[in-house]
Amino acid sequence: MNNAIEIINLHKKYGQLEAVKNLTLNIKVGEFYGMLGPNGAGKSTTINSITGYVKPTSGQINVLSQDIEKEFRFTRSKIGIAQQEISNDWFFPIEDLLFFQAGFYGINKMSATKNIKNLLAQMGLEQHKRKKMRALSGGMKRRFQIAKALVHDPEILILDEPTAGVDVELRHELWDFLRSLHQSGKTVLLTTHYIDEAELLCSKVGIINDGRLIKEGTVADLKSTINKSSIVIKIREGQAHPFNQILKDYDWTYNKEELIISSESPNSDLPKLINTISTSDVKIDDIQLSKTSLEDVFLKLTGKKIDD
Amino acid sequence: MIKNWTGFFTLSGREIKRFFSVWKQTVVPGVVTTLLYIFIFGVALENRISTISDIPYKIYILPGLIMMNVITNSVANSASSLLQMKLLQTLPELMITPLSSTEMSLSFIVGGTVRGSVNGILILLICVLSGMPLENPLLTVGLIVMVSWIFSALGLIIGQVADSWDQLAVIQNFIITPLSFLGGIFYSIQMLPDWASKISLLNPIYYSINSLRAATIGVEEFSLIGSIIIIIVCNVFLSSIAIMLMNTGYRIRS
Repeated sequence: MNNAIEIINLHKKYGQLEAVKNLTLNIKVGEFYGMLGPNGAGKSTTINSITGYVKPTSGQINVLSQDIEKEFRFTRSKIGIAQQEISNDWFFPIEDLLFFQAGFYGINKMSATKNIKNLLAQMGLEQHKRKKMRALSGGMKRRFQIAKALVHDPEILILDEPTAGVDVELRHELWDFLRSLHQSGKTVLLTTHYIDEAELLCSKVGIINDGRLIKEGTVADLKSTINKSSIVIKIREGQAHPFNQILKDYDWTYNKEELIISSESPNSDLPKLINTISTSDVKIDDIQLSKTSLEDVFLKLTGKKIDD
Repeated sequence: MIKNWTGFFTLSGREIKRFFSVWKQTVVPGVVTTLLYIFIFGVALENRISTISDIPYKIYILPGLIMMNVITNSVANSASSLLQMKLLQTLPELMITPLSSTEMSLSFIVGGTVRGSVNGILILLICVLSGMPLENPLLTVGLIVMVSWIFSALGLIIGQVADSWDQLAVIQNFIITPLSFLGGIFYSIQMLPDWASKISLLNPIYYSINSLRAATIGVEEFSLIGSIIIIIVCNVFLSSIAIMLMNTGYRIRS
C-alpha cells in the first residue's frame, strides 16, 4: 500500500527548543493513524510541518509521494486540517467562510455549493449558516472547523485534538462521523491525548514523547508489549491483613483496603489468589480484573501519564 | 506568477467584502474628515492664504486631501487585515491552502488598493462638487489607483512586521501621517526654506500629491512624468518587497 504521508528525519528547533527530533513516520493510504502524546510532545509541530505552516529545520515530508515544498499546490489540495486552535473570523457568516475556503482551494462557488450544503447539514449547522463565528457555541465551532477541513473533499484529513474541550455527547457524535469518513476511504491522522479516543478509532497508533516517536503499532501490538494485568481485590474494612506472608510470590500493593496484584496470567492466578486469601480468613468485598490499557503502555514507555 | 486564479479572486474578493462590511469605519470617516478639512482650511484660513500658484487656497489643498485619504485607507486596509488575521488565528489556516505567497500578497494588495481607490474617488467627487477642476480625469483615477497600490503594499509589509495594534498605530501615527502632512498637502514646498524643500523631495508622498495636482488643477511643481516614474518605481519596489517578505514567512510562519 502507498504512503499517504511520509515523514523522513523531521527535525524542528524553535531557538534552543527542539520540538521534534529526527522523527520518521509513515502513514499508509486509508489508515486511521493516531498520534498520541502529552501536551508539548511535538504532535502539533509535526502536523503543522506536514501542512507547510511550520518550516522544518531539516528533514523531508512527502504527501502521496510528492514533496510538500516543491509540489505544495498538489500536497495542500490533498490535505484537510481541523486545527486545535479555533480561528475566529469576525466579519462573515460561516457559510461564506466555507465558500471562501473552497475558493482558496481553486473550487468556484458553483462547484462548491453542493458539498457545502451537505457539510452544513451533516454537521448540524444548516440553521446557523448565516451566523458569524462568535455567535456559535464551542461545539458548533468545533464542528465548523471539521466542515471547513472537508470543504475541498481532501483525501487526507488531519485532526489536531478534534474533541478537546467538547462534551461527551458531541465527542461520540464526532467519533461516529470520523469513523464514517474513514470508511469512505479517507486517510485520517488524529492527534489526541485522550487514550480512549485513540484506542477506539485508530488502526495504528504512534506514541510521541519529547519530540520523538518512541513506539508505533496497532493498539493490540502496543498492549502486548506490556504483558501484565492487574487483579484488584477490595478487602472488607477493619481487618488485619496477612499479605506479607501469603502473597510472597506476587507483586502486590495494598492501600485503603484495596489490594492490587500484578499478574502476567490473570486467568490462572485469580482462582489461586481467591483461595489463598479466603483460607486466611480475610473477607473479600469485590474483585476486578484490570487489563492492560494504552494508558499503561504510555506510562511504561514514557514514565509519565499522558495528562502530565 | 498567478496559477490559482480562483484562489486569488476569492481572497481579493474577501478582502474587498471585508472592508465594505464595515463601511461605517472604512468609508464614511474619510468623507467626514475631508469635509471638515475643506471647511476649516479652505473656508476659515482662506483669508490668510488666498492663493498658491494663482489657484485659490481652498482648491489648492484638495488634491492633497484626496491623496491623504487614499494613503491612509490603503495602508490601513492591508496592514489591519493581515494583523487581524494573525491575531484571530485565521492566517495559519490561509497559509496552508494552495495559494502561493505571490497570490496571497497580491490579493491583500488588491483589497487595500480597492479601498484606497473607493475612498479617493468618493473624495474626488466631493472635491469636484466643491469646485475643483478636473483637467485629466483618466490620469486622476489612474494616479489614485497607483498610489493606492503603493501604500497597500506598504501596509502589507507593516501588517506582517507588526505584532500588535500598538505597533501598527506607532507606524501609522509617527511615520505615515507625518510624511503625508510633510508631503505638501496644505502648502507648496516652494514656500519652504531651501533645505526643507530639498528634504521634501525625498518624500515619495510629495510626488503622489504633485502628480494629482497636475492631473486635476493643472499645477505642476515637479515634472509630472518624473512623478509618475517615481510612483511606478515605488509600486514595483514595494510590491516586490511585500511578496518577498511574505515568501520568507517572517513573523507569520513558525
